Amino acid sequence: MTTRKNDKMLVTFWGTRGSISTPGRITEKYGGNTPCVSIRFNDTQIILDAGTGIRNLGVELVEEIKREDNPTLLHLFLSHTHWDHIQGLPFFLPSYHKNTKLIIYGSHRKERFLASILKEQMDFDYFPVSMSSFAADISIREMNDKVIQIGPLVIDWQEQVYHPGGSVRYKISTNGNKIVYATDVELNRMFDNLKDNDINENLARDYMNFISDADLLIADAQYTEEEYPEKVGWGHSSVHVLLDIAFKSNVKQLAVFHHDPQHSDKFLDDLWMENRSKYSSKDRKMDVFWAREGMTLAI
Amino acid sequence: MGKDSEKTILTNEKNLNFFKDEKTGLANTQELPRKTFVGRIPTVQHAFLEIMDEEKRRIILGEDDLIIGRTSECDIQIMANNVSRRHARISYSNEEYRIEDLESTNGIYVNGVKVERCVLRKHDVLEIGGIKILFIEEKIRQDNDNKKE
Repeated sequence: MTTRKNDKMLVTFWGTRGSISTPGRITEKYGGNTPCVSIRFNDTQIILDAGTGIRNLGVELVEEIKREDNPTLLHLFLSHTHWDHIQGLPFFLPSYHKNTKLIIYGSHRKERFLASILKEQMDFDYFPVSMSSFAADISIREMNDKVIQIGPLVIDWQEQVYHPGGSVRYKISTNGNKIVYATDVELNRMFDNLKDNDINENLARDYMNFISDADLLIADAQYTEEEYPEKVGWGHSSVHVLLDIAFKSNVKQLAVFHHDPQHSDKFLDDLWMENRSKYSSKDRKMDVFWAREGMTLAI
Repeated sequence: MGKDSEKTILTNEKNLNFFKDEKTGLANTQELPRKTFVGRIPTVQHAFLEIMDEEKRRIILGEDDLIIGRTSECDIQIMANNVSRRHARISYSNEEYRIEDLESTNGIYVNGVKVERCVLRKHDVLEIGGIKILFIEEKIRQDNDNKKE
């Protein structure tokens, strides 16, 4: 029996690059825009992070907004407020459109209010247009509730500690399907010396519980094993550590995300070829791929 | 210096000796007039699908949508059991080609990943009902032989 499209969440990658945007010929396949992923389930629209990739999403959405009589409701969930995850927001066209209601969610555990961090990004010293120029109805919420329900979608979230300043991971579920977005976390440190470290043992267990049985896990593995030793403490994972943990957690499909700015298309192609078939056993198989801009999956 | 006099200096062998380095005997590099760099070689973007079925066909892509499927109404007909009647659409916008699943039974794959939609990049391997299709994109010089009809 075929599954109807409207039973599925449509996941689109608008930006997959980590740290800084990297336009150019050698990055055109996987893309140079920084993180942004949209999840659409019928009329419910969720956006994960507002890296530079959100600009292209905005261009597409604004065409829909113009056609609609009723306001378009968009929910933007931020993993954290480092530049590569918020820098596209000033260029997100629906923000300048009256017929949009945009709710921005983020961690409540920052030293400053989320609203002031986002407003400061659009301070006149950095950007010529202030956030008060947004014509859309914008509300900024620091999350307290453990679970957020948006129409048919349930959004579960947890704080992540192994990233400078912290970050948040999200799980979006509906109809028994689960997508986990867990970027900007250094799993190598979390899963190191588990036997001698109770804190890490708890963190590792929480992480594995959170991602377990995910139909799609979108997760950061910015470095190769060879590169990682020089990047300890930078808040990103290495490829094999992520792949091992995801496989042990029974993840069905893994989108490796937050690509290093120095990694060309060929480099990522080679990494993918090297790892794509390693994670399958007699009983099951984990589909692994390197996320690329402009790709939409149905989950 | 006018056009004709420039030409005279460059083509007259006697005058070329004037530019030679006395020690090496090699001609010094001459500065080209700026207008030399301004011209443009007309190019055209070509994209193809190479369908690796029994016929091994090459389909030239234009700007119109193309439907791939099993029936004769489709723009690209693939006669394979696992291909749906209307299986996928290839479209062109913002100077990029995309593939989109038309609710087919077996889905579409790009480089082995099952996708709903995907922007295509050169050398992507598409798979439709078990048939592999190579996407090729190239920019070539547009001269009299290559002009689009």
